[in-house]
Amino acid sequence: MLRLASKRLLQGLAPREAQSPAVQLLPRLYHERVVDHYDNPRNVGSFDKNDPTVGTGLVGAPACGDVMKLQIKVDDETGKIVDACFKTFGCGSAIASSSVATEWVKGKQMEEVLSIRNSEIAKHLSLPPVKLHCSMLAEDAIKAAVKDYEAKRVKP
Amino acid sequence: MSKQKLWISLSSSVLRRTLRLTTCSAAKTRSLTYVSPSLTISNSENFRIFPSRGFEFLGNTQLPGKWSLCTQAAENIDAKCWNCNAEAETAPFLVCGSCRCIQPVDQSVDYFQIYGLEKTYDIKDDNLERKYKDWQKQLHPDMVHSKSEKERENAAEQSARVIDGYRTLSNPLSRAIYILKLEGVNVDEEETISEPHLLAEIMEIREAVEEAADSQALNQIQSQMQEKLKHLSNLFAYAFRNRNFEEAVKAIQRMTYYERASQEIVKKL
Repeated sequence: MLRLASKRLLQGLAPREAQSPAVQLLPRLYHERVVDHYDNPRNVGSFDKNDPTVGTGLVGAPACGDVMKLQIKVDDETGKIVDACFKTFGCGSAIASSSVATEWVKGKQMEEVLSIRNSEIAKHLSLPPVKLHCSMLAEDAIKAAVKDYEAKRVKP
Repeated sequence: MSKQKLWISLSSSVLRRTLRLTTCSAAKTRSLTYVSPSLTISNSENFRIFPSRGFEFLGNTQLPGKWSLCTQAAENIDAKCWNCNAEAETAPFLVCGSCRCIQPVDQSVDYFQIYGLEKTYDIKDDNLERKYKDWQKQLHPDMVHSKSEKERENAAEQSARVIDGYRTLSNPLSRAIYILKLEGVNVDEEETISEPHLLAEIMEIREAVEEAADSQALNQIQSQMQEKLKHLSNLFAYAFRNRNFEEAVKAIQRMTYYERASQEIVKKL
């Protein structure tokens, strides 16, 4: 559903972009990894946000009004992220960024994922400059999820 | 060049829509049939999303927008027609009063001036559409298709600007962003916000839109969105009047989320 919606969004944009002069000089083609994540988004879904082992990161981009939810499931004893999922209402780049983010955080320690930078996600997906804020959103979502989990642990 | 073409077709689609409302000659409609269908659709969506008419602002202590051409005349007093060299008689000076020649775009003239409105957020836009049509009757590229290239270029640019102005002013959100920009306040677009309550609410709305089974359900969400937008528009108006730009920006950011949801609904309907 998510994919369908975003696909429609991209198709809707296509004719307009085709008429822009910039396109002829600099074709704005998405990297195959973006298309891949967007056609087959990994780890789409939701965990119970009231589960004490789940951390939820909810972030939004005021410019476009898009929202991204990234959740992590943490092993209480080891602090390892055992599972992750996301739900994003946004453009292809935002969906791909959050999909990559969930892949990257799985199996890692919480401290480790805090070092994931948006530039790494952007580089991995070869995002154009105008789409850098999408990867920023994913970085912020990871941080927010960890923060939420830690806050829950302090006062369960 | 191709950007200009895009504008022309956009403008035509708007014009065609407005012309349909009025009685227009068959010849005129025929000349406008090169509009690209996709653009027509996106455009008409824009119009459906923001009825924007009937926005009543709470505590509206200011006068509603009205024609105030005389106040702007001073700014353009030195302007002369590029064609016949006649002095500008009226402001904004988009068309020469004596030879009816379309003037080049003057970026210092803002949309409020083009539409003869006071620079306030709470505009009464009953006259906006009429004024818009009046401008298009004078500026639309189709009116000057047999004239010089310079005049055709001017027409394309001026009419695009008039369209942009109409869209900007008739939509409460874009009008808010625009009037803040005129005050030198830019809404930071790159910033990520984390307001849990708002975002959770938006997430729920977007999920509800995605899962909505029929148009009745969608319409119900849509009316909620319009309600929220109206409320936030009032908040913005209040903050802006008090020159509380921080609150004004906040209202704009919140509006953006609801508007985005509203656009999704329109897409699904």
